[in-house]
Amino acid sequence: MLKLHNLSKYYRTDEVETVALNSVNIEIESGEFVAIMGPSGCGKSTLLNIIGMLDNPSSGEYVFMGEDVAGYSEAKLANIRKQNIGFIFQSFNLIDELTVAENIELALLYHNIPSKIRKERVAHVMDKVGIAHRAKHMPSQLSGGQQQRVAVARAVVGDQAMILADEPTGNLDSAHGQEVMEMLQSLNEEGTTIVMVTHSPSHADYARRTINLFDGHVVTENLRAAQ
Amino acid sequence: MFRNYITVAFRNLINNKLYSSINIIGLAVGLAACVMIALFVRDEFSYDQQWQKAGEIHRLHTTFNNPGREPLVTVVAQGPAKQALKNYFSEDIEFATRFNVRDTVVGYGGNVFNEEIVWTDPDTVDMFNFTVVAGDVRAALNDNASLVINESFARKYFGEEAALGKILTVDVFDLQRDYRIGAVIKDLPHNTVLSFQALAMIDEKDFVNQSWMFDSWFSVSNYLYFQLKDGGGIAIIDNAISAFTDASIDVGTGPDGEPAQASSFIAHTTQPLIDIQLQPRAGARSEMKPTGSIAVVYIFAAIASFILLIACINFMNLATAKSTQRAREVAIRKVHGAQRFQLAAQFLGETIMVAIVGLLLGLVLVEISLPLFSEFVGKSLVFDYTDAPTIAALIGLVVVVGVIGGAYPALVLSGFLPAKVLGANRSAEIGGSAGLRNILVVSQFAISISLIVATSVVFGQKLYATNLDTGFNKDNLLVVRGVSRTGAQDKQDALRAEILRLPGVTNVSYSADAPSSGNENNQSVTVPGDESGGTILIGVQAVDYDFFETYQIPFVAGRAYDRVYASDVLPTPETATAGVNQQGSLIVNEGALRRFGFGSPEQSIGKTVELYIGANEAGPIRADMTIVGVVPDMPFTSIRSAARPEMYVMYPAGFDNLTVRFEGDGAVMAERIEGVWKSLITTVPYTYEYVDALLAAEFEGESNQSILLAIFAGLAVSIACLGLYGLAAFTAERRTKEIGVRKVLGATVMDIVRLLVWQFSKPVLMANLIAWPLVTYAMLRWLETFTYRLDAWLLGPLCLAAGLTALFIAWATVGGNAASVARTNPIKALRYE
Repeated sequence: MLKLHNLSKYYRTDEVETVALNSVNIEIESGEFVAIMGPSGCGKSTLLNIIGMLDNPSSGEYVFMGEDVAGYSEAKLANIRKQNIGFIFQSFNLIDELTVAENIELALLYHNIPSKIRKERVAHVMDKVGIAHRAKHMPSQLSGGQQQRVAVARAVVGDQAMILADEPTGNLDSAHGQEVMEMLQSLNEEGTTIVMVTHSPSHADYARRTINLFDGHVVTENLRAAQ
Repeated sequence: MFRNYITVAFRNLINNKLYSSINIIGLAVGLAACVMIALFVRDEFSYDQQWQKAGEIHRLHTTFNNPGREPLVTVVAQGPAKQALKNYFSEDIEFATRFNVRDTVVGYGGNVFNEEIVWTDPDTVDMFNFTVVAGDVRAALNDNASLVINESFARKYFGEEAALGKILTVDVFDLQRDYRIGAVIKDLPHNTVLSFQALAMIDEKDFVNQSWMFDSWFSVSNYLYFQLKDGGGIAIIDNAISAFTDASIDVGTGPDGEPAQASSFIAHTTQPLIDIQLQPRAGARSEMKPTGSIAVVYIFAAIASFILLIACINFMNLATAKSTQRAREVAIRKVHGAQRFQLAAQFLGETIMVAIVGLLLGLVLVEISLPLFSEFVGKSLVFDYTDAPTIAALIGLVVVVGVIGGAYPALVLSGFLPAKVLGANRSAEIGGSAGLRNILVVSQFAISISLIVATSVVFGQKLYATNLDTGFNKDNLLVVRGVSRTGAQDKQDALRAEILRLPGVTNVSYSADAPSSGNENNQSVTVPGDESGGTILIGVQAVDYDFFETYQIPFVAGRAYDRVYASDVLPTPETATAGVNQQGSLIVNEGALRRFGFGSPEQSIGKTVELYIGANEAGPIRADMTIVGVVPDMPFTSIRSAARPEMYVMYPAGFDNLTVRFEGDGAVMAERIEGVWKSLITTVPYTYEYVDALLAAEFEGESNQSILLAIFAGLAVSIACLGLYGLAAFTAERRTKEIGVRKVLGATVMDIVRLLVWQFSKPVLMANLIAWPLVTYAMLRWLETFTYRLDAWLLGPLCLAAGLTALFIAWATVGGNAASVARTNPIKALRYE
């Protein structure tokens, strides 16, 4: 699916250069469930943003589905991103002014899909994540767990091949966290590649591979046998 | 506590530079516009208030209701009306006086000058308290060889020497006399409808040959003012005025043999002196000097209020938009014991502080632009900082503006429940405030669009009027005045011959009138075979053989006057025998044919009408005038009024003007003609005007108004856009997260720009729906005041263009900001919430 080769990211201010990622080499196959762990500031989110093409690497190679995308323009990256990648955030990032259904539909709005088909797909995915009864509600009327389910629905409604989840359970209690993890697991079982940043070892256990980052380096990679 | 408020207010001002500057600049411009227009309006309302008896002075107007014609409305009265009025209303009227303005040749030290001298009655000195510099005004106005002059006139003739007792020669009509300077007065202030440099006493014996001046009830040329006795009301006069008309004027008998009532033809009305400036009854140009108009005062007052309103709306919008971000501060203050009214007072205090800063900057703007504005409106406006009412009004204005701007945050924000705000951990937008902002933006743009449309209609009308097809070619024409004066009249033939010989001169013609004179001369005509047996009163102009060729007026049928036909010259009554009609030729316009009921121009050639041409010892003399030519209708004597039915007679005794058609540079031509003039005529000064300038001058008022309107409309639009920019910046800031999410989901920069720009297009489009019908109605009403006006359908495209202009301006304003927001990296927006 994707391959990072000698990928580095520096942040420069006038005097200080901070290294966020230092010559990272990672390869992720299609259909994998990968967890990225590490202490605060180790570069997890930077890595996820680069994988999600929201940020550019300072050096190195990023091959996504056979294409080296490292030097692509923003418009080109936006196009690749919307076709292939869905995002889930710790803070849900739903739009307050839009209803649940409209929030989910937003992901299809930039795909040139006719309105009727959009509505069908939104209805389908709302069923799937069990939020259909809340379709007309505003995000502020939902619990945290429900909001994150909406975010998951938004991430997958476009049939994206890969989902990037940045601490998707960070703002949820354990029961709701569990719920979201099970949802991700079942998506993975249907063939979606999932890359997830998490602090929780128990949630990392849902992944088949865990990458541990420390100070911008990959320190260990743990593989678990299929259950 | 108070210091804490000031600190917070000041820091808010400094920290939010964009919002502060938008507010302050907008308010400064709005307040400056308001102050300047208020000065203008106050000045307009101050006209003629300076006279001690201003409230008691009124003026008599005359309207002629000639059957079958538009009423001829004038603000002047007949010569005999003064004494008749005084006699008829002897119980009610204390004083009455006439002002009769005459172009006069004044000689001094061997030189001659053209001056306007005003002939008046001795009562003037009792009615108008002029400031006397030297001499005795009363004595001078009771002496038919004394002049009262103002200081400018004195300086012009006598420099620094004492003017009193100096002698000037005065030459007008048959009157040639030495006048002694009997009194010098200060120049009249600019805020009076009176205008003169020199006054002379009316001695009716001096003008016996000009009976139309002071002796005829059928000719009007006197501004007739009268002063009521103390405690009297004008109602008594108004109620009895038509009885006065009937009692004073003998109009003979009607067709039925019964005595006719003068009031059916002639209507007298009165107007208070202090109303004249703003409500000129017969238009601004029929007064001694151009007046203002109440409509203009209203329009400018409205525009100033609109500009201030737009600035206030910015203020309010940005204050509400920004205030939601201060919810946390409100919550913390409340947690620590602040009362609601204290918070409200704090917010109001802040907005009033911004308003004060705006006012200070506004006053700087006033200081900078007032001289220019004054010059433009032709006044000497001064902003007096020591004037208590002005200062009070300004303070009031600032408080009102501050309260308007601060009302919404003060009322709503102060009501926030701290637990909710702090618990939610975010600064939620309060429901309703976004809706309110939208309404306000819609009204701002509705005002702006209306002003754009109004400005373009006024400009369009001006353009239309000045490029009006007048029926004659107005370019390269020069009018020489004064050719009928003593010393010039007997040189008319020589003058024409000499000017024709000048290189570059193609045609020369004499005529009674020049374009835009505003004159109207009527003569009664009988149409043979007309069964009603009555006469038709119809306009008449004396023209020379070459008149139509000089003005390049085409003939619809027939021919111009020609020297080969002796009968083309209008017959004179002197040699006529009573009872025998003279024979003559006549050129008329198509309107006259319609009045005669003569059918097509071709059919009319050869038909005759009977014209009254004067009287001799034997009685009234008439002439059978055979129509030899027909020309199109044209608005010759004013492009502001409709073309009238008109007859053109070849009558050399009536020539007052000489028109020259030339090629090449007008200034050079004027100089060459001056050379000819001076070689032939020494007792009359040379004066000339260009015809195109004469026509343009008829719309000078509108021309200045349209420029002012354009400036103010521009200001209004700029301030509205300033506000829109602030709102867009605020919205983009508030929608950062949403923009981030959309970008992550695949939105391109263009998608985001479109989203933000569309958000601000909606109110602008909505504003069009409100503005179009309102402004269309208003401008159609305005256009109705012009005889020759733009087609009504043009308002459609103009509205559309104004709407698009506003939309494009809004896009340009919002687009740049939206693009920069759309380009920011979404992870910044999404990382921390």
